[in-house]
Amino acid sequence: MGFTTLLDIAGSMIIGGTLMMIVMRLSDASTEKTYNYSGELIVQQNLLTLAEMIEFDFRKIGFCNTWNAVVDPRTNQPFVSSQAIYYADGSSMSFYTDLYPYNGSLDSLRYYLGPTSECSSTPNPRDRILYRVENGNAAVASNLGVTDFRMVFYDVNDDTIPPPVVTRGLIKSIEINITVENVAAYDEKYSNAFWKQIRLASRNVSRSKTDN
Amino acid sequence: MSGKAILIVVIGFTLTLLAVGQKFGSLSNRAVDNYVSYQSETVAHNIAISGANIAANAIYLSPTWDDGYDNIPYQGGYLDVTVDVVDEDLGLREITSRGIYFRDTSEIKLRIAPSNFSEYAYYSNYEKAGPTSSGTIWWTGKDTVWGPFHTQAKLSCAFHPSFRGKTTSHKGSIEYQTNKKTDSPVITGIYLPGKNLEIPTQAVENLEADADDDGYKFDGQDTVYLLFDKDTLRYKYSYKNKYTALYLPSAAPNGLIYAKNMVVRLKGTVKGKYTLGCSSSTSSTGKGTVWLDDDIVYNTNPLKHPESTDLFGIIAENYVWITENTPNKTSINIQASVFSEKWGFGAYNYDKRPVSGNINLLGGIQQNYRQPVGTIDGNTISHGFTKQYRYDSRLAFMSPPFYPGTGGFKIVSWFE
Repeated sequence: MGFTTLLDIAGSMIIGGTLMMIVMRLSDASTEKTYNYSGELIVQQNLLTLAEMIEFDFRKIGFCNTWNAVVDPRTNQPFVSSQAIYYADGSSMSFYTDLYPYNGSLDSLRYYLGPTSECSSTPNPRDRILYRVENGNAAVASNLGVTDFRMVFYDVNDDTIPPPVVTRGLIKSIEINITVENVAAYDEKYSNAFWKQIRLASRNVSRSKTDN
Repeated sequence: MSGKAILIVVIGFTLTLLAVGQKFGSLSNRAVDNYVSYQSETVAHNIAISGANIAANAIYLSPTWDDGYDNIPYQGGYLDVTVDVVDEDLGLREITSRGIYFRDTSEIKLRIAPSNFSEYAYYSNYEKAGPTSSGTIWWTGKDTVWGPFHTQAKLSCAFHPSFRGKTTSHKGSIEYQTNKKTDSPVITGIYLPGKNLEIPTQAVENLEADADDDGYKFDGQDTVYLLFDKDTLRYKYSYKNKYTALYLPSAAPNGLIYAKNMVVRLKGTVKGKYTLGCSSSTSSTGKGTVWLDDDIVYNTNPLKHPESTDLFGIIAENYVWITENTPNKTSINIQASVFSEKWGFGAYNYDKRPVSGNINLLGGIQQNYRQPVGTIDGNTISHGFTKQYRYDSRLAFMSPPFYPGTGGFKIVSWFE
């Protein structure tokens, strides 16, 4: 009888231990998957936010809500919409547009990617901040986990233009590539998402006033 | 007892897995929602763009079209288009196009204004000097055209001429003197082959009625010498005579000066917005010709003062010639938009006159036949002028009074 009891106890300990391990493993896997799935959802949402913001601004390159001539601040000549982009390189671009409330006065907008050192407080070593600067004011940004922001510029013949582009009027369409990752991840397994706009052509840039 | 324990364990596991599964399912649904939302916004936006393009095309085919579209099914969604007249006098219109796709709506506003020929830095119907001319007039490496360019013929290039603006041609292909590598043009802008824009044939004659109504008309003489002296116009009918002065704001309130069946000799400084028309009543090309005897410039140079309101148009039925004389031997400055209905703008005696510097044009040239202004030997000018044509950007927004229209509209702005 004593031996049987011992066997019962040992067996129940083994089975109980196995069950405990299963539960703990389940908990661990559940936690990991929750973090990973949530992280992927956040990455997707961040990417969507960035894509919408960039499309919203870039589609208005060269737009000005007035019938009359406005003066280009850089040349002191009448503003020509096809020359709205006045500086562009692989990860930054500056151009003229008319920002809300679209009052017919030229505004400048600049997008540029900050260095990785600005995000040293996050576990992800690759994340950077994408800045948006209106009219030379203080940059406004939040860390959405951007790890790559690249633009490729095309001229009227759909040939690529080597950066930096300082000749106004050359750029007719833009290819935009954005990669976003988690700023922090479970067990350093970062999720990433990629968005590419193959050809974004602001209609105010890729036409002149004589389009009819 | 052990059965109950097992049952509790199983129930526990089930509840735990249900909770975890519900969480994962929620995350997946939200991810799909994000994707569907972006896709829906994009489709609505594309429908709106399509509506704007369809409406713009409808106005191109029929300039008075303003019917719009109401809830038209399109690409799985709907499109609405309205056309509003913003300024009846100036003919300004706004097209609003809405694309609706499920719960997303996207709106695009398109502004259009009547188009006229003064918007072109350069326009030609034929890239040759006359109906019987066989030689090709080449755009050369020393030629620069700033601003919108159009020819109804082919674009003929030698040694990389430069076109800094929208460039279009009706006949399509670019013609190279030697080959593409040696001669291809440098175009900072758009090149659109296949665009058709015909020159009007009654533009000059139509000016007479406007000149009779609040303009000033010269009539009954062979030649008139015109000297613009800011807001005074000095004129005489013979070279030896003294000038008679006219105060232009009183003499031509609508800005139109018309020389009927005459030859015009022109020079001076223009203050204000004026157009000079010169017609011919015969088939001879002597009358209806404007001779530029010296510089014709603005009182306030728009290159230095972009707020300048001085604007000048020259509309000749036949030629606009740069006179071969002493003042024009060392370049000529022309600040005007020049329109030649039957012939063209050029340098008289272009192939025999000495090398005369540049034609510094600020404005535009629109002509039926392209007249030469000089000759080249290899890559070197041997007679006449080189072309430094610069577009007056103000012409995108304003035009000289009564300048010939193209019959269509231009897109002033596109908001999306």
